[in-house]
Formats: sequence, structure tokens, C-alpha cells
Amino acid sequence: MTVLTTVLRRIGTAILTIVLASLFVFLAIQLLPGDVAQQLLGQNATPDAVKALRESLGLDQNVWLRYGNWLIGAAHGDFGTSLVSGDPVGPSLFVAFRNSMLIAVPAMLIGVTVSLTLGVVAGVRRGRASDHVISLISLVVMSVPEFMVATVLVLVFAIAIPVFPAVVLRGSDATVLQLLPSVWLPMIVLTLAMAAYIVRTARSSTIDVMASEFITTAELKGLSTRQIVWRHAVPSALLPTLNVVALNVAWLLGGVVVVENVFNYPGMGKLMLESVFNRDLPTIQAIALLSALIYVVCNLAADLVALALDPRLRTRQRGRRARPRGTARRPAALAAASAGPATADTATATAGTSSARKDRA
Amino acid sequence: MPPIVPSPMNDHERGPSRRTLLTGAAGLAGLGLLTLTGCTSGARSTTIPEGAATGIAARGGRLRIARPAASAAETLDSASSLSAYEYLGALYNRLVKQNQAGETVADLAEEWNATPDGTTWTFRLRKGVRFHNGKTFTAADAIASIEHILDPKTASPQGGVLGDMLDKNSMSAPDPYTLRFDLTKPNAEFPSLLTAYQCYIVPAGEIATIGTTGIGTGPFKLSSFAPAGSGSVEAFDDHFAGRPALDGIDFSSIQDTTARVNALLAGQIDLISQTNLDFATARVVSASSRATVARVKNAQWYTIPMLATSTEFKDPMVRQAMKFAYDPKVIVATALQGTGSPGWDNPVPPTLAAFDDDRRVYDPDKARALLKKAGRSGMKTSIYTSSYESVFTPMAVAYRDQVKAAGIDLTVRNASSDSYYTEIWMQKPLMVSYWFTGRPIDQLLNQIFRTGSSYNESAWSNTTFDGLLDDARATMNDDRRRMLYQDAQRLIIEDGADMTPMFGDRLVGISRDVVNYREFGFEFDYLRIGLRK
Amino acid sequence: MTAALQSSPLTRFRGRLRGWTTPLRASTALSIGLGLIALHVVLALLAPVIAGHDPVVTDSTNVLSGTTWSHWLGTDQYGRDILSRVLNGGRYALLVTFLATTIAVAIGTVLGAVTAYADNWFDEVVMRVVDALLSVPSILALLVVVTVFDSGLWVIVLAVTVVYAPAVTRVVRGAARTVITQDYVTAARARGEKPLSIVFREILPNVLDVVLVEYAMRASWIVLLISTLSFLGFGANPPTPDWGLMVQENRTALTVVPMGTLAPIVALATLVIGLNLSADGLSKALGIDRAQQGATS
Repeated sequence: MTVLTTVLRRIGTAILTIVLASLFVFLAIQLLPGDVAQQLLGQNATPDAVKALRESLGLDQNVWLRYGNWLIGAAHGDFGTSLVSGDPVGPSLFVAFRNSMLIAVPAMLIGVTVSLTLGVVAGVRRGRASDHVISLISLVVMSVPEFMVATVLVLVFAIAIPVFPAVVLRGSDATVLQLLPSVWLPMIVLTLAMAAYIVRTARSSTIDVMASEFITTAELKGLSTRQIVWRHAVPSALLPTLNVVALNVAWLLGGVVVVENVFNYPGMGKLMLESVFNRDLPTIQAIALLSALIYVVCNLAADLVALALDPRLRTRQRGRRARPRGTARRPAALAAASAGPATADTATATAGTSSARKDRA
Repeated sequence: MPPIVPSPMNDHERGPSRRTLLTGAAGLAGLGLLTLTGCTSGARSTTIPEGAATGIAARGGRLRIARPAASAAETLDSASSLSAYEYLGALYNRLVKQNQAGETVADLAEEWNATPDGTTWTFRLRKGVRFHNGKTFTAADAIASIEHILDPKTASPQGGVLGDMLDKNSMSAPDPYTLRFDLTKPNAEFPSLLTAYQCYIVPAGEIATIGTTGIGTGPFKLSSFAPAGSGSVEAFDDHFAGRPALDGIDFSSIQDTTARVNALLAGQIDLISQTNLDFATARVVSASSRATVARVKNAQWYTIPMLATSTEFKDPMVRQAMKFAYDPKVIVATALQGTGSPGWDNPVPPTLAAFDDDRRVYDPDKARALLKKAGRSGMKTSIYTSSYESVFTPMAVAYRDQVKAAGIDLTVRNASSDSYYTEIWMQKPLMVSYWFTGRPIDQLLNQIFRTGSSYNESAWSNTTFDGLLDDARATMNDDRRRMLYQDAQRLIIEDGADMTPMFGDRLVGISRDVVNYREFGFEFDYLRIGLRK
Repeated sequence: MTAALQSSPLTRFRGRLRGWTTPLRASTALSIGLGLIALHVVLALLAPVIAGHDPVVTDSTNVLSGTTWSHWLGTDQYGRDILSRVLNGGRYALLVTFLATTIAVAIGTVLGAVTAYADNWFDEVVMRVVDALLSVPSILALLVVVTVFDSGLWVIVLAVTVVYAPAVTRVVRGAARTVITQDYVTAARARGEKPLSIVFREILPNVLDVVLVEYAMRASWIVLLISTLSFLGFGANPPTPDWGLMVQENRTALTVVPMGTLAPIVALATLVIGLNLSADGLSKALGIDRAQQGATS
């Protein structure tokens, strides 16, 4: 199989996943108890009014037809109308998404840079004081829930020493510029929570690499530690980290919900909480679909980047031959897995996806 | 084959060791310490201030108010059930309003009188009042505004109340400053119904767009508004009662209570509206150097509606037992820490003139006996609560603890706050709820206790009671009318399905810079409220 | 692997078991982790005995008491004993976590092993479904389920199960695929053993290490997730003593009742640290085992 077919196959799978996810989301929402029309009308739900509304909402149509219409609409950015505000879901979702990206993307970039560095440092200096300190802090940080970190940060940096605003005063009508003073604390919370996992992944993959044959060879060849770290440790720590980041996307949304709730930040997490509270089904559907899309795209990107970076993944022949290599990767995967929730799926990515890929390659 | 993985024993031995773990514990403790020492506001004060600071406000300044949004679809149309409450009093005026004692006093109307049978009411309107758009206020605007409330398409909560005695031909304007109501049935309390916060007067030509333009005669004019977002109002120099002390007010919507409190403590806002602070939070706020607490006496009317149509509570004996089984004084002490007064199941606040001070007894044995008689000994059911209001859960828990002695076994269930009033209220047999006090007596009894009223939260129906209300409306003699209202109160206490354990003081978080904060009759005193500096 | 080929799965398992207890003695991380978990379990079991107060009983005469002889960690704003609430909160957290993790991991493990063995259209279908399920944010799924079906214990347990079983399936499938290529599976196949028997007797025992690590790790995540749900107001009902709920109730008053927030957080964090360290220690200990197996084959 050529690289091209692998790539095409991977993209095909991604599209299939999205379609399946959209179907699940749609059907799950249909299965929820309670009639949407009845809910909308509330006290005015006379049988005639319910019937009329059902017709105008298209609820009397076949469920598959409605699914098709919804999916086609969604593909054009039309997610229907919010049950609460009566406005189209699309624009408000877009604004919320943009606002969330404003804290999530910097959090991700800072988180990856800082924690990759720390992880590699800890891995290279395994067993020394700096490793202990880094490992310990990451362990503690990932064991304290985000809502606590957020609460403490507000108390310290907004109330006791007022350097940052405690909450965002403006709603979804805020412009990016108006939001800027308020993004810092939410960003720090997200960064901290995510960084802890990446530190641990990066550390264990560095440890793996540093003990592997080719590092020994490199050492024999007389390369300096600095060169070894830059040429081998960092690139190989990067791969699993990429996977962690990609898989973190789904989890990041959970963190975003908590953070946006605490800081009153007008992003997707807050929109999600509100639409769940209000049972605003079209908005919930749209958020679910958008999140699934982001998740799949990020994972696709991570896989493709991994493919581009790692020649072994491209050139490896029938996987069953490559057993020793494969098992060698396992402990790394397991160690990564133990790093926590996000990296749990790294095990998937390395032990799962790559084995799936190599088996089919 | 050479080992491909690192020598493992070293690794896991060097992993987080006991030493590092201990440091970890210390780290956690440090986190706590940081929190404690890092805060300027300690638990210094144990008392909560009695009232808001009064004094002379500096002219000018902008007040920043944080509020929970009614909904993503909220509007500035006061007639709507989704009106943005805080804006209304700033932007508009009513014909008549309520003073702090619950009496109906002049606003846009200067005086009013009725024919002896109470069917024709004539209001003389204030002259020279200007709307924010420059137009002069006349009777035509008042008629259009009230017709808008009566319009079924508006679905105004006050529509039904007024529609009971008004129809399309009821209103007329003999001249631009006289407004006449010919009621379809007599009502001695008619003016008090116009004090409702749905009855703000807007320009006749602007009704279609009033939800976003907010044009009124109030002390402030709108400069921006986003539903469930932020908005601003600016002082209106031409206001008939003079210019307000403030230059403007900035509103922001914050749904989460803790976030609102944090914003106050951090000095981002000056006042938290529609939020009754819980006791612990009130202590934090009053101990802070930036903020303090203002008490609005008996502002919160707490209720425990028993759904009279439910199998649990359709038997009046069971309802009586639920009342005899608890001591409201204990609920006030537990749930409010004493910042309120016991209600003894009478929904009428003691400040209203028609208040009946007959008090029921507390008698758990009698409750037990009643339950036995009703065949419901040891009854078990759920009481629903939510974080919607800070006192709900303590009240539900205190009530549950109280009725245990009568052999009533309640499970406290928490429901999500945002759907509490759509999914639980008027749906579950037993829940906790509250209202703002400030309704005039006629509106209070008719709106919340009359058969079939859309706010009758217990679905209680009693024809004798409804008859008493009708008689009262037809009675122009004030003393006789008061007696009828008192009979009605006794009926609620005996047979009613809506318990009133207590009236609570509203603990409002305000900045220490705010002076003259007062709130009554569903309105802030927007003319006088101001900032010290 | 020749020895493994001849020995029965049971002996192999016993051998592995011995292999596991050795690292326990040698690994500090693992022993501290398991120690912390054990401490939590003991405290949770003994909570009614050692708590000293009913966790939900209010006492209006004794609110925000601070540390006293009767209330070691003080009382909250309703006069409830904070220590008793934290201890009883542990019972709830451990129970929900144990149930949810066990069910999710059990389902995921079986499904993962079966699909890995099947390696046909069935595998393909299940994996596509699993991928799709994984792409839907778990927090959203949980919020919706809990809102619609009330937040009872079993609703939360089942919701968490639905959310995490797919992830476990994926990981176990990955691990099982490497096991399937081992000689003893090939041998069993050659002996004509039934597929299900191969799955249960050959594959499952050999992915148990991955499953164990997965278990500890998922559990640590689920503890955090459940407390987050409670924090957001979707989890346990007040006055249930629940850690997330306690933080939610007391965090505004952090400066007045610090223990009301800090005590549940310390409890939560130590449990999560315990689970993480265990996962860490286990994976290292067991990972080696597997690697050496691979290396000798």
C-alpha cells in the first residue's frame, strides 16, 4: 500500500466517523423523552397548537428524512433555530466557538511548548531533583480538579490581588478586543490542566528513546547530550504528544465547560451548559456535531503529521514481522496511558491505531 | 535480543517517591494556605449589616449592576413575561406605583378617583412629561400601553389579571390628560393592579419595537441592550422628577451566583441584583473591604406549594398536617439564620395593611393524628429544591427535618436551576419556591391563590375563597374590604395548599461606594441611588 | 515463548500474578498509590463509625463553628459537620467510581477482545461506531443524560459507562491485537478451540495487565468527572455529602469556611493521586513483563 492510499483511507474513515457521530447525536436527541412541540408551547399546548407546531418544525416527517435535511443544512452551516431565543443556531454557535478558541488555542500552544520542554527535561534528567519536582507538580496538578484551580486563581489574582478580572462582564455580544482582558485566568486554568498530562507523556517517551539502541549508537558515535536531546528525544517525544493533544480536544471541552462556567466566559462550554439547562435541542445537536468534527479533524491531522514525521510508520512492512519494535512501543504507550485521562487514548493511538495501521499497511 | 525498554526497576523506583509524595501533600496544604493568607477579606465580621448606607451621593458616576438574565430571549417590553427586570424601572414609569408601605402612590398619574360603585375610575395625568424620543406623554400612550398588555399575542402575565375587568372599550381619554376606565365589573382595588411591573407606559407609536428600543419616560434612557448580554442606560436630563444622581448604569448578565459574587468582591461591579446571598456568602461579602451587604426587609416571600391536584395533597387533611407538622420559627433560624420572620402559612406580609395576625399553632401530634385519619400515616414523598435561589435548599432541608417528628418522611431532591420553573414548578407535588413581596393585597390573593390563575402555583381551588375576593373587589368601604381579605387569609391558612414558612430579608451584595440603595414595589429607587465618590 | 506455548493459560496467569507482586514490593509509586486507595476505602467503610455526626443533620445554633472538639474540621453554614461530610462523601465517590469503572471496563474489555479476535467486518463496524462515540464530547453526553433522567446514582453510573466503554474497547482491542499474534493463540487456534474460548482463555488473561492499568486510570478520571458533574449542579442531590457539591456550596465562602472547600478537595486529590500512582506503577511493572515476553519470543 502506498502512502497515498493510507492517507486517503484515513480521510475516508474520518468522514465516515463524522457521519456516524452525527447520526448518533441526531437519534439520541430524538429518543429523549418529551415532545419538543409540547415543550415549546408550555401552557399553551392545546392539541391543535401542538399539531400545527409539529408540522411547522417538520416533526411529522419521517425521521430519516429529517436527519438528511438536518445534515445537509449543517453542512451549509445551517443548524436550525434555537428553541429558546428563536434565532438561528449557527451565528451564536460561531461566536461562542470563536470565543472558546480564544482561550483554548493559546492554552494548547503554551501548554504544549512548556510541558514538552518540562517533559523532555524530566525524561533526560530522570531520577534527579528536577525530574522529581516536575513529575510531582504534574501529578498534583492533574489530581486537583479544574474547578478548584479556577476558584483559587480567582480568589488570589482577582479578589486578593486584583490583577485580572474575576469574571467576564460582557455576554456573547462582546468583541474579541473586549474579551482580551478576561481571557488570562481561564487560559491559565486550561493550560495547567492540559500541561500536566503532556508533561507525563513527553517524559515517558523521552525515557524510552534515551534508553533505546539508536541513542546508545549515537552516544558511541560521540554525539553530545544536547545534540542527542534535540535530534532524537524531542522529535520522538513530539509524536505521542501530538496524539495527546489531538485526543485532548474532546476532553478540553469538558475543561472549557467548567472554566467558562466559573468565569462567566461567553464560549461554547457556557452555551452548552445553557442549552442543556434549557433543553434547547437544536443547539445541543449543533454543539455535539461541531465538537465531533473538531475532534475528528484534530485526530486526522495528528495522524497525518505523525505519518509525515515518522518514517517507520510509512515504510514498515507487514506488522506481524515488526513484533519486537511493536512491543517495544507498548510500554511507552502504557506509561503514557498511566499519565491520565487524556493520554489514555494515547495507548490507543500507539498501541491501537498504529497497530491497526501497521496491520493493514 | 537486547533489551529495548529502559531498565524498569530504576525507573519505577525513581518515580514519584515517598519523599516527593510528602512534598506533594505539603504542596496541597500550601495551596490552601495561599488561599487563606492571600485574601484580604477574612472572617472578621460575624454580623450582617441591617441596611444600605444612606447619604449624599456624589453627582455623576456610573453604577455597574450584575444581573441574572431572564432568558436568551429576554426583552425590554415590560408586558412580556421575559422582561429584563432591572432595566424597567430605569427606563419607564407606571401610572401609579407602590411606596415602601405598600400604598398606591402617584407616578405618571397625579390623582385618581372612582364612582361609588367602583366601576368607573378616572386618572388625571401628569403634564409636561417627555419620552426619551422627545414626544410628550398623553393619555393615548397609556391606553396603547395597557391595550398591549391586554393583547393575547403579548401573553403578558398581567393580561389575565386586567383582562378580568377591562375590555377593548373600557379605556377612553376625555382629554389628553384624563384617562377613564369603565370596568366590566367593580373593583375597589383597581389602581393597585396598575402598580404591577408589567404596567409600564411606553409611547403609543413605539410598541412594536419597544423590546429593543426601551423608550420611556424614566430617569434613564437606553444606550445599548443585548438580550442575556450587557447593556447601558444614561441619565435622562428631561425626566419629570429631575435628573438622577448617576450619569449612567451599566448592566451585565452573569448566570452563576458565585461568579456574580466574585465580580463584586473583585470590584468589577457595584451591585448584585436579584440575588439573595446565602448566609456564609453574606458574611464573606460584609467582611470584604470593597463590598458590603444591604438588607431589604421581608423582601423574599418563601413558599412550599403542595400541588392540590396531586394524589399526595388533594386531601385537605394531609395539607393541614403538613402545616401543623412544622415550626416556622425553626425554619427561619436554620435556613435564614434569623434574617427574616416566620410566616405561619399566611402569604400576606405583616407590612401590608390587610395583614391578619391570627396565627395557627405548631402541633406535630395533631399533624400525626390528621395523617392517621387521612390514612396516610408515615407518608413518604419527595420535596424538590434547586440552586435557583440560595435559601431553597436550606429551607427544604429544614422543613424535612421539622416534619420528621410527625412521621413524615421527605427526600430532598435537587433539580437543575435553569429548568426549575419549567420542569418542577407546578408539576411536582411538593417543592420550594419564592416570590418577591411587593404585590398589593388584591393582586397577591387573586394572582397566586384564585382558582385557575396562571400563577396559582399550588393549583388550589376554593370557591368560598374566590367569592370572598369578588366581594372584596365590590366593596368600596376600606374597613369592610380589609375584613374580607382577612377572612380570605384565614381560609388560605386552614385549607390552602401553598405553605408560607417565612419572609426573608433579601441580602443584597453592594459595593461600599454605593449609597441610597432601596428597592420596593418591584423597582429600584433609581433617582437617588448613587456612588459616594 | 516456547515455555508459554506448552503451559496452560492458568499457569501462565499464576506466573504472571507472581510477576505482579514482585513489582508491588519493589515499586514505591505502586505501593503509595495502592496505600492511598486502601486508606480511602477503609475510611469510606468506617465512615459511619468514625464520622461522629450525621452528615446531613443541620444545627442552626452551631454554624461555621471552626475547629472544635466535637467538629474537628468545623461546621458549614448549615451547621453540618464537615469531617463527617467529607468521610461520607468518600463513600459516595468510591461507590459511584467503582460501579461505573467496573462496568465500563468490563464491557470495553470483552468488546475489545472479541473485536480484535474477530478482525473482520464486525471489528470494522464496532470500531467505526466506537470512533464515532468517542468523538462526541463526554461531558455533553453526561449532562444531557443526567438532565433528562434525573441524577440518581444508577443514571450517573450508566451514563459514565456509556461514555467510557468505547474508549476502553479501543485500548483493549489494541492490546489484544498484539496478543493474538502470539504463538499460544496460534496454537490454540490450531488445536481447534472455539473462538469464544480463545477470547476468554487465551486473550483476556493476557491483556489483563492493560486492563488493570486502564482500570486505575479510568477510575481516576471518573472520580474527577463525577465531582465536576456535582460541581456544575448536575450530580448528587443536596444534602448528599458529595465532594464536588461541597466545593460548589462552600467555595464562595472559602475565606470563612476554608475547610468546607479544602477538606473535600484534599480528599479528592489524594484519591486521584493514589489512582494515578497505581496506574503508573502498574504500567511500568506490567509493561516490562510484556516487553520481556516480546523480547524472548
